[in-house]
Amino acid sequence: MAGLPLAFASPWILLALGLLPLIWWLLRLTPPLPQTEAFPPLKILARLIQREETPSQSPWWLTLIRLAMAALVIFAMAGPVFNPTATRLDGEGPVLITLDNGWASGSVFKDRRATAEALIREAGETNRTVMLYATAEPAEAGVPLDPQAALLKLESIEARPLMPDHAAFAKLISAATQRQSPGSMFFLSDGLQYPGTSELATALSTGASQQEIILAPASSIMAMAGVRNDPDALSGKLVRAAAGNSVAVELTAHDNKGLPIARQTVTLAPEATEAEFRFSEPVELRNQVVRVSLDQLGNAGGVQLLDDSFRRRLVGLVSGEAGDLSQPLLSPLYYISRALAPFSDLRESTSANISTAIPELLAQGVSAVVLADIGTIPAEAGDQLSSWIEKGGMLIRFAGPRMAAAPEDPLLPVELRRGDRNLDSALSWDTPKALAPFERTSPFFGIEAPRDVTIRRQVLALQDIDLEKKTWATLEDGTPLVTATKKGSGWIVLFHTGSEASWSNLPISGTFVEMLRRVVNQSRSNPLAAADASTTLPPLRLLNGSGELGAPGPEAKPLVLEEGKTASVSFDNPPGFYGTEDGFAALNLFRVGDTLKPLDRSLFSPAAVTSNYAADAAMDIKPWLLMAAALLLALDCLAVLWIAGLVRMRMPTRPISTAALFFAIIAGGAILPATPVHAQQNGSTLEGKPVEDFSATLATRIAYVVTGDAALDDVSRAGLTGLTRFLASRTALEDSEPAAIEISTDELSFYPLIYWPISLDAPIPDAATMARVDAFMKQGGSILFDTRDQIGGVMGGTSGSPEALRLQAILSSLDIPPLQPVPPDHVLTKSFYLLSSFPGRYAGGELWVESLPAQNEQGERPVRAGDGVSSIMITSNDMAAAWAVDTNDQPLFQTIPPDPAQREYAFRVGVNIMMYVLTGNYKADQVHIPALLERLGQ
Amino acid sequence: MATIGSIAERESSSATMARARARAALIPDLLIEARHVANNVHAGWHGRKKRGVGENFWQFRPYVEGESMASIDWRRSARDDYVYIRDREWQATHLVWIWIDESPSMLFKSDLTTVSKQSRAVVLGLALAELLARSGERIGLAGLTKPVVSRHAAERIGEALSLAGPQTEFPSPLSANGRSDIVLFSDFLEDPQVIETRLASLARSGVRGHLVQIVDPVEEVFPYAGRIEFSDPETGEKITTGSAASLRDSYSGLFRAHVSAVRKAANALGWSHTLHHTDKLASQALTSLHIHLSQDRGQR
Repeated sequence: MAGLPLAFASPWILLALGLLPLIWWLLRLTPPLPQTEAFPPLKILARLIQREETPSQSPWWLTLIRLAMAALVIFAMAGPVFNPTATRLDGEGPVLITLDNGWASGSVFKDRRATAEALIREAGETNRTVMLYATAEPAEAGVPLDPQAALLKLESIEARPLMPDHAAFAKLISAATQRQSPGSMFFLSDGLQYPGTSELATALSTGASQQEIILAPASSIMAMAGVRNDPDALSGKLVRAAAGNSVAVELTAHDNKGLPIARQTVTLAPEATEAEFRFSEPVELRNQVVRVSLDQLGNAGGVQLLDDSFRRRLVGLVSGEAGDLSQPLLSPLYYISRALAPFSDLRESTSANISTAIPELLAQGVSAVVLADIGTIPAEAGDQLSSWIEKGGMLIRFAGPRMAAAPEDPLLPVELRRGDRNLDSALSWDTPKALAPFERTSPFFGIEAPRDVTIRRQVLALQDIDLEKKTWATLEDGTPLVTATKKGSGWIVLFHTGSEASWSNLPISGTFVEMLRRVVNQSRSNPLAAADASTTLPPLRLLNGSGELGAPGPEAKPLVLEEGKTASVSFDNPPGFYGTEDGFAALNLFRVGDTLKPLDRSLFSPAAVTSNYAADAAMDIKPWLLMAAALLLALDCLAVLWIAGLVRMRMPTRPISTAALFFAIIAGGAILPATPVHAQQNGSTLEGKPVEDFSATLATRIAYVVTGDAALDDVSRAGLTGLTRFLASRTALEDSEPAAIEISTDELSFYPLIYWPISLDAPIPDAATMARVDAFMKQGGSILFDTRDQIGGVMGGTSGSPEALRLQAILSSLDIPPLQPVPPDHVLTKSFYLLSSFPGRYAGGELWVESLPAQNEQGERPVRAGDGVSSIMITSNDMAAAWAVDTNDQPLFQTIPPDPAQREYAFRVGVNIMMYVLTGNYKADQVHIPALLERLGQ
Repeated sequence: MATIGSIAERESSSATMARARARAALIPDLLIEARHVANNVHAGWHGRKKRGVGENFWQFRPYVEGESMASIDWRRSARDDYVYIRDREWQATHLVWIWIDESPSMLFKSDLTTVSKQSRAVVLGLALAELLARSGERIGLAGLTKPVVSRHAAERIGEALSLAGPQTEFPSPLSANGRSDIVLFSDFLEDPQVIETRLASLARSGVRGHLVQIVDPVEEVFPYAGRIEFSDPETGEKITTGSAASLRDSYSGLFRAHVSAVRKAANALGWSHTLHHTDKLASQALTSLHIHLSQDRGQR
């Protein structure tokens, strides 16, 4: 094989090629054996086949295939190697071998070691000593070794997941070469340039008569430079040392157990040295990723480890306000969600019912929950919340009108005064207050207290001995603005002002974003990022040279974190996880922004020869030959089958139809299981849904609560019937029959108004029912409570009557805003009829509604309206009895005092309430039309 | 690979007797309607539409002097002044010859069936004999036995068959001349011309023939593929073909042509021809044979 760069490991086997003619002769001699069949109608068959067909030899091409097969096997057995390695050592004196065994060697280190081993063996043949340095090992001075010892030392060297320390070895080598100058110098580089490479080049460039640098192609060296967890994706960058061919690499994201979560292929463009990658999986999945690796690379540079600090925190949001999407700027959650969105993932509950919303959020694994203006937390949800906080959850609460009105609450950091402090009201001497600078002990320390932020209203903490310690932020006058307390391993944080802009302008300032970020980051801290003092973390799982995570080896030492310093990779601290299973920190070889530089050849002396790794060029072609032989064998089998007629060339339809059937079965297997599942789902949605009475949705119906007291329920029904008829005759609203609802079971959301007479006999609804009522009110429904006790109340007031107490008991678990009697400028007085009082069967009682915001300087306006409909109305005038009519439209009850006009007014009250409930503040806007037209100049 | 066809052992008639009985039991009593019943004296059940020796009443006729007094029907004569004689209808048996081919080619049996052609032929022959015996016909094995009338004719034929050894020769023109039927069970794989001359020489003696051609399904379908050496069980002749599958279509065309040539030869003589496959039930062939035998072919 003179012309070809081909060598054989055992050339004598080639002698067997001489057997080929014998094989040829044997093959020609034995034709394939026919099948013998008895066949009586042979005479008929004989007419078809005129001459007797008995080929004594197999076809020439079959013989050729078999001969080629035999030749291939003989060649393969001879162990051919393409581009064999040549000897490369010359000169005299010690051989200096410097070997890069850093991260970039990784999977190919075996070849590097083989190259070094070949050199050392050659040195052994010529009895030369060897100076061996591996640049990623600890820098220790070495002495010239005899080749046997050098081989032993080489055995112990393996690829390290570290950066080679060229600078340290430069010093060692220059010291050693000064003592004894080497005859040959070999630098087995990994192809990359490191900070100390120029010093090393200088140290290596002295003296030796033979200098050789063995390089790996730089374009094949790749690393993953940092990973970020962005809001929408887990992204990062691949870098390579030099532009080269277009390469597609596969990235895999693994979870804590090493299971793959996501996989994607990234292509490096031909002239590019870097490429971005993005894992756009849902954040819950992304948060489980602890390792992103470049699969085929097989070295530590292609692995990025992620710890807690990479996780995006899930924050659950719950609000006490009705979910009014038409007025987002007034929603308590609007500014909070805008402020949190950049650095955390938000989960808003789909349910307005707090007692289902909170468990739903907790089940999603949120790390913080924001409650905006929630006054009363239902007991069960409260228990779940507090046990969740004990385990490390963070509860962030914002004050508001509901909280100001709420009774004591255990889930607050401090005890609150009832009511709120209004710094900007007509009766206040104060002016709105700004923030005081943040204390050093506060987590907000470092944020500059803005001067333009003013607090107009807030809730006040009761003075307490450790109030100071719990305070994170104060106003100028020292009143706490943010208080927090640790509960178990979690936190409760309270912002004493509202989360929307009506109480202060804090939520619309940039400071708010920064404060929330600090608070949420507090929720689960990361030891690497927030090292208070020096912390020591034991090695947990470390990367090895091939980029695999494993148990820490004996060299690994605990990672010492010092304040203000970032931990770095060293021989003692290889990249990996440090800490315990519960909380660990990731130490990475590459950071965001790192790049790779190919080795600069010009640093070395011009005398040095550059070559490639021999193992890269030498190719063992034995497996290819064997594979070709196997292919020929398969071909031969097919040919024999064809000759024997088993592969039916004449009848292609049968194999094809069989194949088609086979594929159809496979495809059917793939499709069939899916279809029944769909069917089941459809079936379950159809059958699983309870059959509702949809009549409630087809017309507007007023509902009344069934109390169980038959007489009272009759009055309610008759009263609402009377009101409905009145509405139909006087207004455009044509209701259908009133609906009787069981408050604990019936769906409430169809009804705009629920009339709820208070009966002493009726049981107090349980917590679940009241949670439903709460959700109904928050979603925009209104309830008219009627205590019917005006006549029996003491001194015309109703505060002490049994019905009023019963009402208080019912409402105690509801989140009720402050109430007030209908003021003269309330829209209820003008929504259809102009009314000044709200009589029912009795005339004296007040109608209570949610209190409106205080009247500002806009006092000229004829009517005020809140931003929604009052979800609760309370009267004591027994409205239903005044409205009640029999079938002949004759009133059932005499009014007290007996005045026909009062009944007419009672009906008008009903019409106004109904109009108010249905149109909201539209009427309030209507009365302003003259003023608006005037302003427009008409 | 196992071969498709094989040469079965010759099946003894005693073993097939039980199966033949079972087949025959399925067929109603065979009463051959033969127009030309042989003019013989043996009592049979075929009325000759004239007076003679028989069991059925034919006519009363006045007594003629010289007739035997024993033949006077006294009951009828007592009713008026004449003396009557009760005449009976002349009844005679029909003669049916059976011939079963037992040449080596008949011993062929393929994978697709459970019986060889010879076995099926013996079953059919004995079953037919059983049927005919039940109807009181005279049955004979062509070339082997004399015709017998016996309820146990089938047993006797079976016995004769097993004693005689394989019958390979086509029956020579029959000794009993004319006015009889012959049923030939064979695979009729010879040249159509040979078959034609043999049938013609048989027909010359006035016999009416029924051909039952027994065929193995393999012989018709030709399910062979690949390189196969075919051998003829009769002559031992061998033919090797490289790709048998390619011959399938043209072979089955030839085979159908052969069968129709045999049918044509039979029909030319006014004889019936029944093609029977060994993978079908024997009673199917027996039924169609029954139809052919009892049919008045309207000839002669």
